Amino acid sequence: MSQSDIRKWFMKSHDKDKGNGDAAAKPAKSAQPPSKASEKSSQVKTQLDKDKQVPVSEEKDNSGRRKTSKYFAEKEKERVEVPAKRKSQNDGDDYEKPSPAKKVHKGDDDDDDDFVLPDSKKNSVDATPRKKLKSGSGRGAGQKPVKIDESDDYDDVKDVLPSKSGGRGRGGRGASATSSGGRGAGQKPANVVESDGDDDDIKDVVTPSKSAGRGRGGRGASATPSGGRGRGAGRGGFMNFGERKDPPNKGQKEVPEGTPDCLTGLTFVISGTLDSLEREEAEDLIKRHGGRVTGSVSKKTNYLLCDEDIGGRKSEKAKELGTAFLTEDGLFDKIRASNKSKAPQQESKKSVNNAAGLSPKKIVQKTEIKKECLSTPPSENVAKKGLTSAVSLDKKRVQTTQHSALTWTEKYKPKLPNDIIGNQSLVKQLHEWLLRWHDQFLDTGSKKKGKKASDSGAKKAVLLSGTPGIGKTTSAKLVSQMLGFQMIEVNASDSRGKADAKIEKGIGGSNANSIKELVSNEALSDNMDWSKHPKTVLIMDEVDGMSAGDRGGIADLISSIKMSKIPIICICNDRYSQKLKSLVNYCLLLSFRKPTKQQMAKRLMQIAKTEGLQVNEIALEELAERANGDMRMAINQLHYMSLSMSVIKYDDVRQRLLMSAKDEDISPFTAVDKLFGFNSGKLRMDEKMDFSMSDPDLVPLIIQENYLNYRPSSVSKDNDGIKRMNLIARAAESIGDGDIFNVQIRKYRQWQLSQNCALSSSIIPYVSVQLLDWNSAFLHGQRETFEQGERNFNRFGGWLGKNSTRGKNLRLMEDLHVHILASRESNFGRETVRIECLTLLLKRLTEPLRVLPKDEAVREVVDFMNTYSISQEDFDTIVELSKFKLLHICIEQGYPDPLEGIPPAVKSALTRAYKEGSKSRMVRVADFVTLPGIKKAPKKRVAAMLEPSDNGVGEINEEVIAESDEEKSSDTEDLDDSAVGEKLQKELQSLNRNGVQVQLDLKDSGKSSAKKTPASRGKGGSGTAEKKGARGSGSGAKRKR
Amino acid sequence: MLWVDKYRPKTLDHALVHEDVAQNLKKLVTEQDCPHLLFYGPSGSGKKTLIMALIRQMFGASAEKVKVENRTWKVDAGSRTIDLELTTLSSTNHVELNPSDAGFQDRYIVQEIIKEMAKNRPIDTKGRKGYKVLVLNEVDKLSREAQNSLRRTMEKYSAYCRLILCCNSSSKVSEAIRSRCLNVRINAPSEEQIVKVLEFIGKKEGLHIPSGFAARLAEKSNRSLRRAILSFETCRVQQYPFTSNQTIPPMDWEEYISEIASDIMKEQSPKRLYQVRLKIYELLVNCIPPEIILKRLLYELLRKLDAELKHEVCHWAAYYEHRMRLGQKAIFHIEAFVAKFMSIYKSFLIATFG
Repeated sequence: MSQSDIRKWFMKSHDKDKGNGDAAAKPAKSAQPPSKASEKSSQVKTQLDKDKQVPVSEEKDNSGRRKTSKYFAEKEKERVEVPAKRKSQNDGDDYEKPSPAKKVHKGDDDDDDDFVLPDSKKNSVDATPRKKLKSGSGRGAGQKPVKIDESDDYDDVKDVLPSKSGGRGRGGRGASATSSGGRGAGQKPANVVESDGDDDDIKDVVTPSKSAGRGRGGRGASATPSGGRGRGAGRGGFMNFGERKDPPNKGQKEVPEGTPDCLTGLTFVISGTLDSLEREEAEDLIKRHGGRVTGSVSKKTNYLLCDEDIGGRKSEKAKELGTAFLTEDGLFDKIRASNKSKAPQQESKKSVNNAAGLSPKKIVQKTEIKKECLSTPPSENVAKKGLTSAVSLDKKRVQTTQHSALTWTEKYKPKLPNDIIGNQSLVKQLHEWLLRWHDQFLDTGSKKKGKKASDSGAKKAVLLSGTPGIGKTTSAKLVSQMLGFQMIEVNASDSRGKADAKIEKGIGGSNANSIKELVSNEALSDNMDWSKHPKTVLIMDEVDGMSAGDRGGIADLISSIKMSKIPIICICNDRYSQKLKSLVNYCLLLSFRKPTKQQMAKRLMQIAKTEGLQVNEIALEELAERANGDMRMAINQLHYMSLSMSVIKYDDVRQRLLMSAKDEDISPFTAVDKLFGFNSGKLRMDEKMDFSMSDPDLVPLIIQENYLNYRPSSVSKDNDGIKRMNLIARAAESIGDGDIFNVQIRKYRQWQLSQNCALSSSIIPYVSVQLLDWNSAFLHGQRETFEQGERNFNRFGGWLGKNSTRGKNLRLMEDLHVHILASRESNFGRETVRIECLTLLLKRLTEPLRVLPKDEAVREVVDFMNTYSISQEDFDTIVELSKFKLLHICIEQGYPDPLEGIPPAVKSALTRAYKEGSKSRMVRVADFVTLPGIKKAPKKRVAAMLEPSDNGVGEINEEVIAESDEEKSSDTEDLDDSAVGEKLQKELQSLNRNGVQVQLDLKDSGKSSAKKTPASRGKGGSGTAEKKGARGSGSGAKRKR
Repeated sequence: MLWVDKYRPKTLDHALVHEDVAQNLKKLVTEQDCPHLLFYGPSGSGKKTLIMALIRQMFGASAEKVKVENRTWKVDAGSRTIDLELTTLSSTNHVELNPSDAGFQDRYIVQEIIKEMAKNRPIDTKGRKGYKVLVLNEVDKLSREAQNSLRRTMEKYSAYCRLILCCNSSSKVSEAIRSRCLNVRINAPSEEQIVKVLEFIGKKEGLHIPSGFAARLAEKSNRSLRRAILSFETCRVQQYPFTSNQTIPPMDWEEYISEIASDIMKEQSPKRLYQVRLKIYELLVNCIPPEIILKRLLYELLRKLDAELKHEVCHWAAYYEHRMRLGQKAIFHIEAFVAKFMSIYKSFLIATFG
């Protein structure tokens, strides 16, 4: 408590909260007579108090939806449908715990949702959405309204205006005001009128003066601490972004277990580093206890959870909004408190945490109560409820048996386009398109067809795309239904092959045929009984599933679209599928998106409510998230779970869905983070395997890059890091194993080894790096940085980059090597060139430049380059490859760059001289010279070195003669060869005469594209060289054949 | 022109080292038909020089008219076609290539391309030799599959084609191939021979070589003649006239590796391992073959190591080199070796010095 100033602040607020809570509780207690609630006023109080203190999410939700009196009728109906069993169970559960007084209320809630508030003073208490109540009152200290389900459910404004209503509270403050109001109820008439907007909690609170005062008090508590904080907040939080430190006392505190609902209705934002929990752990903890964790602070946030004040956006915002701050200890206390208070306080007092069991009912009750108050006298209501509940129970039982046959997905299918979750705009678009279809394509049909066709905006078909289970088919059906179209649905279960010519004439019986008919013969259908349904729409479901069986499917579909007289709706999952490429052009594209988890949770909640399931909202959101946008799957899951349990909690969902979770794409980084992450020790082997398999190529690379950074958590046992070094050696070896496996997999296609590969390349390394022994599987290592200022994130695997640089350099080397070979002076292997010759080559190329006078040096170097036909690019390669970065010795000794010490003038002179020389240089020919008569390898790179041409023109003949002498033993060139040679010669010469510089690239296909060998040639003498080159290559090629 | 090339013996008669081998080869070629040949021996011992001289002996001067081609082949491998690109060095009578350059696709080179070349019988108007010669370098780097494909080729086309294989270590060439060839072992020249050659060159170049300098060069060269000549010339470029105690500059990469080795010896920690990894990457990026890095690293480490650890370290080096050849990403295995070394050495240090 007294850890630091900031802490103190926190504690204060916390204490205050507590104090308030107690205060609130006490009066309630006192008011309540130990016996069953005969005094209605006291009942009300207690209930209100309860509500304030412990909001139960489920109830909230329900009540949220039911608040308005308008809906009552509906609700009751729904209720009736609920399976009797569940009902009874619920009821039973509910009834057992609470004290008799409560029971009455509860019973009422469950059955009718109507509660009669006996109010001796005849002050009507307005039904406030319990959210507000909870948050406000339950937490005592100034809390903000928690919107659990900030949905549009609160469209109705409850207007219960008691005569005494005072001034209006502010919007945001509503919570506290309400709480106070609730409190006040017992003492004084408190009138609270709330009008709830959708997401903005605009609460108009009309409270009697006393209650108002209280409310402020409560608020004040929270407000002040946060304010104080705000000032104290330091800067620089942002600078540290991304370098979140490890919790200082990580794993050293015992994490409390509380009742599952003790945090229900509260919204937390976590900021900065906590004392002992990792952020993920804290999140988990909160969710497990029914709380909600959001990413940023808003009005609805109740607490900002942080231990040290790092300033930053969140805390500033929080201060601005007056959000309460909470330390980790505070959180633990809250959770613990729920346990302690449970037993003793349950009946009479409602402790803050206790609420789990009780609160839900209460909440509902409140709302109902208020409503009822207005309409009926308290006593009657109670009686009524008792009756109705009994009746409804019976009804329900009957109903359940009837309805159980339907799966929920069918049962709760949207009945109206508006019911579809998400994608409303798309549905609307679809609607409009369908609506206007006939106007666009038929009425004007024959006359204006030309014009229409040119109208690019109008497509005759529509293509709905999106992942499964998000309502594509449903919306297509609903929309067409609504517009009175008759649907013809064709899906993958029907053959959709191209109807062949005969069938098209109308005889055959295949489905495809009838579609064709349908599509083409509007006239026919008009005459026949189609006329009854003048409008027809064809829904082609699962078009991307058209495959070999559906011969010509897509093509046929397209042609159908072209001539169609009815609208066609195509549905697919993957719009970018190769198969659909052509189809896309003919369709209006509507891409359905996944609904958000909130949207889904809302709908799921409705369903759960109807089915009488007790589910809290957090759990449903989790379910929605796990289902990854697939509504159908979420409902199925819910259905399935409902078979075995009637109360579904966060943990249930989590556990169950661990197994049935949809595969989702995770990036290799996420995978590695999770593998190395805080609870990796708890992951099962198959989960680890899944992570490392998420990208079997990248994950090992990232792991290899980063495993050195992880140190085992229990370093204390490790003297001098020997153990760690041993472990690293082991990890490194295992990574090597992974590589070997990988070769086996890729080269010999031993895919069955992929698991071993994942195991050894990803899992063993991290395990061995992090754990000193396998028994301590729950401890985990932490990442450390090697260098100052390094970000403590996993680096991307360096191998890929290095490997590609290496590849590039190898290509350059290869070029150099080829050139050297082409000089015919040498026959080194490539490796030899690199390992042994490169040093000397570099010396020969640079040393003269440094030592000798300019002209002489340049001449010598150029000579040397010419001898080995080293081009300037090769020169650069040599220099580049001789540089070793990070070579300390070199840097110390002062020759980091081999070119250092060479005056720029010399360099440029060298360049000039080389260019100059290249005119008279032998030609290295030639790629992309199409050699006529050679079919097989038309593109070949021939690097033939020819003698320098300084000998002059006259020498051609000699050369030729000499050549023929030399080649006496060899086969003579046949006619073709010489013809080819001459032809090339001519070409080249003509080019030369035109002054065109012929640049013939050494073709390094795919290699260094920029490599151009200057083959520009002077006139005269160089001509010879060219001829020779051309010849050489031509004949050489010929001989090969 | 580099001295290595300048003074390379062009004919078998001029051979400075391995005169006996040269003479035998000459007899072999002139007197009777030549079988397939397998030259093996350490680098810098003169294999290639002998091969070139031999070819010249077979075909005369025309064998020196070589041209370099970078050819692409399309190989039809079942369902897909593979593009292969390979540099060949060819004259009218012989083709030299380096099939292991094709990486794991070397199989196709051997199966398709060599077969195709071997099949083409040279149009022999002069009737001198009824065959052409195929020189394959680095046979020891060929994959097992490629070697297996090779042996069929060797038998089938032996009428028109002679293979001359060249490699460093015959142990990596399969038994079957070795038995089909006449194996010619080319020893590394002795230091005396190297000194002799260096002095010969010095005389030709008109250099004064101080006494003992050539011997030091020879010693440094690790009995690689090429290496000796190259560093001889390097010294010449760096400083002339020679002094007897002139430093012989090491290769840049060797210097770098020795620095890595001393890094490793100085500190054994994950951080240091990480730095070493970066340096090894640097070497790899600069095209130093990983095997050579590992070998050199071991050499440098052994120099600084206590005798009792040497055996173990050598064992692990061999172990990781083997694994490196099995695997593909050399850095993993070199790093594993370094990690292993660090762990061994560290425990040794602590055990010894506390």
